[in-house]
Amino acid sequence: MLKGMTRLISSVHKLDPGRFLHIGTQAPQCLAAHLDNQVATESPRAISRTSENDPAKHGEQHEGQHYNISFQDLKTVFSHGLPPRFVMQVKTFNEACLMVRRPALELLHYLKNTNFAHPAVRYVFYGEKGTGKTLSLCHSIHFCAKQDWLILHIPDAHLWVKNCRDLLQSTYNKQRFDQPLEASTWLKNFKTANEHFLSQIKVQEKYVWNKRESTEKGSPLGEVVEQGIMRVRNATDAVGIVLKELKRQSSSGIFRLLVAVDGVNALWGRTTLKREDKSPIAPEELAFIYNLRKMVKNDWQGGAIVLTVSQTGSLFKPRKAYLPQELLGKEGFDALDPFIPILVSNYNPKEFESCIHYYLENNWLQHEKAHTEEGKKELLFLSNRNPGQLERLCAYL
Amino acid sequence: MAAARLPASLVLQPRARTLRAFSTSVSPATRSPRPSPSTTERTSRYGRPLRRKALPPRTEKMAVDQDWPSVYPVAAPFKPSAVPLPVRMGYPVKRGVPMAKEGNLELLKIPNFLHLTPVAIKKHCEALKDFCTEWPAALDSDEKCRKHFPIEIDTAGYVSAGPSIRNPKARVVTLRKTEEWEKTKTEADMEEYVWKDSSSEKNILETLLQIKAAEKNLELSKEELLGTEEVEEYRKSVVSLKNEGDNENTLSQYKESVKRLLNLT
Repeated sequence: MLKGMTRLISSVHKLDPGRFLHIGTQAPQCLAAHLDNQVATESPRAISRTSENDPAKHGEQHEGQHYNISFQDLKTVFSHGLPPRFVMQVKTFNEACLMVRRPALELLHYLKNTNFAHPAVRYVFYGEKGTGKTLSLCHSIHFCAKQDWLILHIPDAHLWVKNCRDLLQSTYNKQRFDQPLEASTWLKNFKTANEHFLSQIKVQEKYVWNKRESTEKGSPLGEVVEQGIMRVRNATDAVGIVLKELKRQSSSGIFRLLVAVDGVNALWGRTTLKREDKSPIAPEELAFIYNLRKMVKNDWQGGAIVLTVSQTGSLFKPRKAYLPQELLGKEGFDALDPFIPILVSNYNPKEFESCIHYYLENNWLQHEKAHTEEGKKELLFLSNRNPGQLERLCAYL
Repeated sequence: MAAARLPASLVLQPRARTLRAFSTSVSPATRSPRPSPSTTERTSRYGRPLRRKALPPRTEKMAVDQDWPSVYPVAAPFKPSAVPLPVRMGYPVKRGVPMAKEGNLELLKIPNFLHLTPVAIKKHCEALKDFCTEWPAALDSDEKCRKHFPIEIDTAGYVSAGPSIRNPKARVVTLRKTEEWEKTKTEADMEEYVWKDSSSEKNILETLLQIKAAEKNLELSKEELLGTEEVEEYRKSVVSLKNEGDNENTLSQYKESVKRLLNLT
């Protein structure tokens, strides 16, 4: 297998991209010729794809099938949410297809039956590395976006607690620290995702930025976001204001709020950021983290909080840790309690088949043995049905 | 003829001398004084120091009513010549008996308490009495002692190998009386998770109160809320989760109890 792979890699290198695409367009004929020998040409599509593109209508019958996310949604809702490898796959295949899986279906079921008068319920996706927690989160975000909820999506909370070059002392509270760059990027993405809400929601307080600028009471939230994007110094405070206002107003029923945080265990872990005197900074001393912690508390109504705990990108956590208590720690667990833990596991056989068919359809698997039974068995063995691992393996074929 | 006799005597004399040489080895009078083996100087005629004969062991001279603490005043290795007991130790060979105490390594290896006979201990106590205070008069019975100063006694009866014969746990003394500083025990010090007054209890209470407020159902009091079956199950699941850690079982139990508590289908 290894020899075959190395030979194939060297042959792939010889092909230039233009030629590769050419092969891609010839796909339907080749595929038809290939699969005539084995199975009828319709069934791969039936197994791996579904035409139901509205997450609200996804049910158990769609389990294992891929549904298409339109480019419009990709640009607005998922401007910053998708995992990087998935983004590359979308670019390669020129389509964004997400597999419908049981954990996401479970969550959608809960979300559909949410009682908006009750405090927001917290759902936590947990699972081993590469099992699909982030994509399940994205699936639920897509659902909520289609249902016209306001999406507050933090793509990776770990990015906020490490590798921050410029930490400013917070203008609002001297003890805390601001992260202007990250905050302004996030505000830009937030704006693209929720453009239509920003003019509808009005702030309920007057906010004074500095001697010359202030936001009056009753002005739209979009102004606060603009202020944060333009004046990078105040970006973190703008984020804090956005969070506060949204939390306060979601209970009134004008809109439904979905708070989605990926890697929520970063909020209660450790940071690698240091002050000038090299003393470490605790997470709560970062203004963004402080405000976000308030957001994931369940003392507001009118929405839901969907979280994932992940070890990838986490700091000072062992590689094999995946259980909620291990990653959240005592503080995190106490803060999130009570929550619904949802396990995301590896593919079941049906989902695995579906994934392989999807790759075959898109001609991603070029190896001649890829569609045979032994090839599939080999892939099954090597990846142990782990979605992330399978994707990485197939990238070589 | 004298001259003729002289040579004869001269000739004779050497022979006599040689004879005399032999005879000197026999008769002690003419030779230089040599020490006999029975004198106190322990050198043999060959220059090697002679080994003196072993004296009879001290045990033979010991009286039955002697002062034993002076024989073994401190902890000392077993001296077979100083212990008048016919001790035997060792695994016997076939048709044999355990080895005697003379030259017995086994007796040397084990700890002995020959320095702690009751007589010796009494002597120690007498000496220490000057430094002691009176026994408190109120503690005159065993029950009273146990009541006020309860001590836990743990005995371990197992075989173990190690560099020391002491059991390290013997140094640990547990007194049941709670000290003042123990009241400052915080949640971080607790050995196991206790639900009462925990943040989990607070959270669930707040959540339930909010739910009830949303449903305009404010009659239920705090105790009633905490007493319901769902909360009880939730409490059990949280305690097991915290004490046993995460595993499939505890997590699914927790999930079910939260679902039931929050009325999710």
